[in-house]
Amino acid sequence: MKKIILILLFFTINSFAQDREKLYQDAFKQLTEMLENKQEINFKKAVFLVENAYLVGELDTIYINKQIHFLKTLCLGILKSRTLKYKEQDIQEINKYASLFSVMKDTIPMINQAGEKFIHLPFTYDFNDSFGHTNWKNMFVSKLLETKNGNCHSLPYLYKILAQEIGTTAHLALAPNHFYIKHHSLENGWYNTELTSGIFPIDAWLMASGYIHLKAIQNGVFMKALTEKESIALCLVDLAQGYQKTEFYDIDFVIKCADKAIEYFPNYVSAMILKAEAKGKKIENYLATYNKDFSSVNNFPTTRKLFLEIQNELTQIHELGYRQMPEDMYLNWLVSLKKEKEKYTNKKINTFTKPN
Amino acid sequence: MKNHNGIKILLILAIGIFQNGNAQTIDEIIPKIEIPKVATFQQPNIINTTNGIQTPKTPNIYNPNLSIQQRNQLLIQQAEQQMQQRRIQSRQLVQEAISEFHNPTENINYNLPNKAHLKGTEYYRKVYKELSAMNKNDYSVKDITFKVENAYFENKLQKEKFDLTIKQIGDFLLEKMDELNYDKNSNVAKNFILFQFFADTLQIKKKDLKHLPMKYDFDDFMGKKDWSKMFVTKLLRTNTGQCNSMPRLYLILAEEIKAEAFLSFSPHHTYIRFQDENNKWYNVELTNQMFSTETMILNSGFIKAEALQNGLYMRNLTKKEQFAHMLTELSNGYIHKYGYDEFTYKMIQKALELYPNLITAHMQLSNYNNLKFEYVCKQLGINPRNKKDLQNIRNYPKAIALLKKVQQEYNLIDNLGYEFITETQYKNWIISLQKEKGKQESKNIKETFEIKLKQNIFKN
Repeated sequence: MKKIILILLFFTINSFAQDREKLYQDAFKQLTEMLENKQEINFKKAVFLVENAYLVGELDTIYINKQIHFLKTLCLGILKSRTLKYKEQDIQEINKYASLFSVMKDTIPMINQAGEKFIHLPFTYDFNDSFGHTNWKNMFVSKLLETKNGNCHSLPYLYKILAQEIGTTAHLALAPNHFYIKHHSLENGWYNTELTSGIFPIDAWLMASGYIHLKAIQNGVFMKALTEKESIALCLVDLAQGYQKTEFYDIDFVIKCADKAIEYFPNYVSAMILKAEAKGKKIENYLATYNKDFSSVNNFPTTRKLFLEIQNELTQIHELGYRQMPEDMYLNWLVSLKKEKEKYTNKKINTFTKPN
Repeated sequence: MKNHNGIKILLILAIGIFQNGNAQTIDEIIPKIEIPKVATFQQPNIINTTNGIQTPKTPNIYNPNLSIQQRNQLLIQQAEQQMQQRRIQSRQLVQEAISEFHNPTENINYNLPNKAHLKGTEYYRKVYKELSAMNKNDYSVKDITFKVENAYFENKLQKEKFDLTIKQIGDFLLEKMDELNYDKNSNVAKNFILFQFFADTLQIKKKDLKHLPMKYDFDDFMGKKDWSKMFVTKLLRTNTGQCNSMPRLYLILAEEIKAEAFLSFSPHHTYIRFQDENNKWYNVELTNQMFSTETMILNSGFIKAEALQNGLYMRNLTKKEQFAHMLTELSNGYIHKYGYDEFTYKMIQKALELYPNLITAHMQLSNYNNLKFEYVCKQLGINPRNKKDLQNIRNYPKAIALLKKVQQEYNLIDNLGYEFITETQYKNWIISLQKEKGKQESKNIKETFEIKLKQNIFKN
């Protein structure tokens, strides 16, 4: 009897791993198809493919769709009920952006059909486990929808998904360890929407932070409005990062994801780092089979070649202007925006409305 | 008469040479001038030039061999021919008038009025021609700067004087370097003495030479009332200048003492960059005589990420790009003096050809497009600022095309990441530079330089 249970257990684990592998392969395939124009680009789908793969198919799609539908309705409701004080021709789009911002960051009182009063509360920043170290799920949009608590990964992602839902676009933009939103308006050109603190900071906030090298901005590593394909490239790296969280995984799959992401977003440093680190692990594994440690990296042609590649890649990353930013420094900087609100707020952007 | 002139020229040249006391003989130096020969016109052979078609010969009425009758007939024929021609002509005129009535745009001038007849514009055209012919990757900043400023002053500046002043400053700096024991082969040392020339009081006691720090001139610092405020010649004359003339003089002097330095833009501003032996870059802000850090420049708040990604600001200009920048200064002088016309457009286009994302050229282009559109609207009797009235341009495809150009250029400038700054904002920023806490940081950089130079680290 014991034997049978063991065997059964073994089978379930095995099939579990197989499911997982299959989901990851499928997510990779679909994301690649989006990049290669074989499938329509759909950021929402891409994000949930990634999350579902990590959750081994247990993403509660019904709940998520219901939530997103509710937020979409809320957006459209706000859109109908107000107009911004804005004079340019693109006012319809700008109104949409403003409604998205309200849904993400404002407290909105509502009355349902039965006459009951509700309050929609803003999504907030979760300072616990901001980088998903204890639980990778903390990075997820599904977690944000469930708890209304998110981080600089899930908040802009949700914003972008909602933008897609109400028929407009929002561009993601990168900063060290950080994502935010960029929009373009006829009146002000490109402007930033920062969802962690809920304000519209000017670029100097990021630039003068001291954590971004000028070259990195010039090369579009940071602070560039990403295209739809580049956003899908982000999802590919997310996919690989989630994939790496389990004990046993295929390093080549990680490299495959990174390569595909780099193909469509050549200066995506996270993808480059992911790749370099994966190669590092490859070296370790290879050397381990010979019972050797890293000091003998140059003794084997295979590892020597890999090591050279890594060095080149790291040089390239450095050349692009990327510098690592310590995590606690990041959090302090994030908070600084609220402290130095006056200095860094874009005073041209406002959500003042005129009554309809 | 011609010969006489020729002799006069020879005499003047000869005097010039004797004054120099040069040992060379006149024959060696004076190019042999060939007196242009008056071209003798060969009577064109009509048959040849018309590909063998002979022009019909009209019978001559004065031919004495003709009878009176024949003569009268001929006269009648000719009169009829003339009448016929006149009828055709008048018909054409009527047709033209009718077509103009149907199409009133025929009378509209879609180009800005030409200013070529205005006194002094010829100097600009001449300099533009000279600049166009130059090698854009190898030229003297000093010469071009002089040409640009001289065009504004209608050729009244003296090149020799300008050159001499620059040479004297160059000699002064090299001598001072000797006195301070700086290494004259070190690029950093050369740049540091250049910086000191702007920022400090430099003195060579034994020769009783002294140069006081240059000051920022807040009066009309954008050259609105007097464009020549932007000029290097003004800076040399008064020892005060602004963010255009100071870096330019720096570059001219760098050229003179063979230092390597680069020009770099920030919004409505230029500054200097140079590199040390360890490949570290330094930013020299001459308006407040500080070494500024990149963070300080970025912290002005006027710089968008897109502007950096599109190469508008904060990078070394290449020789070619700097040439383009100086071209826009030529056009800017022309604009301040005469305004916009198709010649202005030509200069702007040339600059953009050399440096497609040159923001100052784009601003000029945008102004040009606007003015042109408004000029056409005025002729059409449409007020472009009135939205309803503006609708009326739909009948004029050419005007619509102009409006599209205006909008395209606006969008382009926006997408390049340019951010509009008011004059007050700009002035406040310049003032803040003088007070900025960055002063401490700059002082530190300067001190390390001084220590290094004293230790002769730069010496080989």
